[in-house]
Amino acid sequence: MRSQSTYKVPLGKLLKISLEFDEKNNVIRNIRITGDFFAYPEEAIELMETKLRNTVIEKELLQEKISSIITQYHIQFIGLNAEGLTQGILMCKP
Amino acid sequence: MKEQWRLLQTGSGTAFSNMAVDRAVLVVNSQGKVPPTVRFYGWVPPAISIGYFQSLVDEVDIGACERFGVDYVRRITGGGAVFHENELTYSIVIPQSHPEIPKNILKSYGRICGAVMKGLRQLGITSEYAPINDIITNGQKISGNAQTRKLETVLQHGTVLMDVDVDKMFSLLKVPNEKIKDKLITDVKQRVTSIRHLLGNEISFKEVAEAMKVGFEEEFHVELLEGKLSEEEVALAKKFEKECFSAKDWNYRR
Repeated sequence: MRSQSTYKVPLGKLLKISLEFDEKNNVIRNIRITGDFFAYPEEAIELMETKLRNTVIEKELLQEKISSIITQYHIQFIGLNAEGLTQGILMCKP
Repeated sequence: MKEQWRLLQTGSGTAFSNMAVDRAVLVVNSQGKVPPTVRFYGWVPPAISIGYFQSLVDEVDIGACERFGVDYVRRITGGGAVFHENELTYSIVIPQSHPEIPKNILKSYGRICGAVMKGLRQLGITSEYAPINDIITNGQKISGNAQTRKLETVLQHGTVLMDVDVDKMFSLLKVPNEKIKDKLITDVKQRVTSIRHLLGNEISFKEVAEAMKVGFEEEFHVELLEGKLSEEEVALAKKFEKECFSAKDWNYRR
């Protein structure tokens, strides 16, 4: 199933998520993260999209996974954070 | 003696060449071949630039751009979509290790925005930095800014609005909900201002550039010496223009 969300991160920027997910297993098949936020290095967003494939769409699991990717690859977000990204993904689900 | 940085006054260029020159200066500065550089430029034809993370088709009405003769380009910096017409755009390229540049990214935005604010002061306009990346005067935005750090080098570019046409801007940008478009336009008109609006008269690009030069010199305690792009920068900019900024692959990549 494909779905989209638009989420204004509190004190941050506008995040738009385009999600393709497996309804049966509740996992991400593909994700595209767009918006007017900042990320350093910029290329990390593509890495984040790749690493989030096959992640179960559940609040705590998602946030933990996103936080660990941020730490492991030394990503710095401005106007976006792990909580915001998690929320944007969860909002794609009906 | 004050440190000397290079000032580039490259005049008006296309969106593709403008973005290519900023990137070329970043690369060549990272190799230590040119000094820290401040550049002032304009956009002909007018253009929309979108942030690195934005989706071109979600943000820009491509058909309207083609009808109005407006170019569109993806930046290497994050942030939002900007309609560039009557403005001065500045860029600064400087090693990340330079003592004048805070290590903290948000603090470095504030510092570089300080130069723009001092420039506006020269024109009689009092403004303040509004994190993350805006400069406001009386609560209204007059400048938007975006920074990247690559090859241990900082590139920040930003706008100084000389005049603004919100209606035209919204005819080129897509809005999430057409039903609230009129309200959105009214809101943005209240939230954005320009030098012309504030001073009540036309002001030339040259005058704004002169003020901004003083602003950068005062903020960073340096002397800006007018220079030219090196041959290497010119060649690299041509390559980036062709292979990146005017290429469909790049502009439609998200």
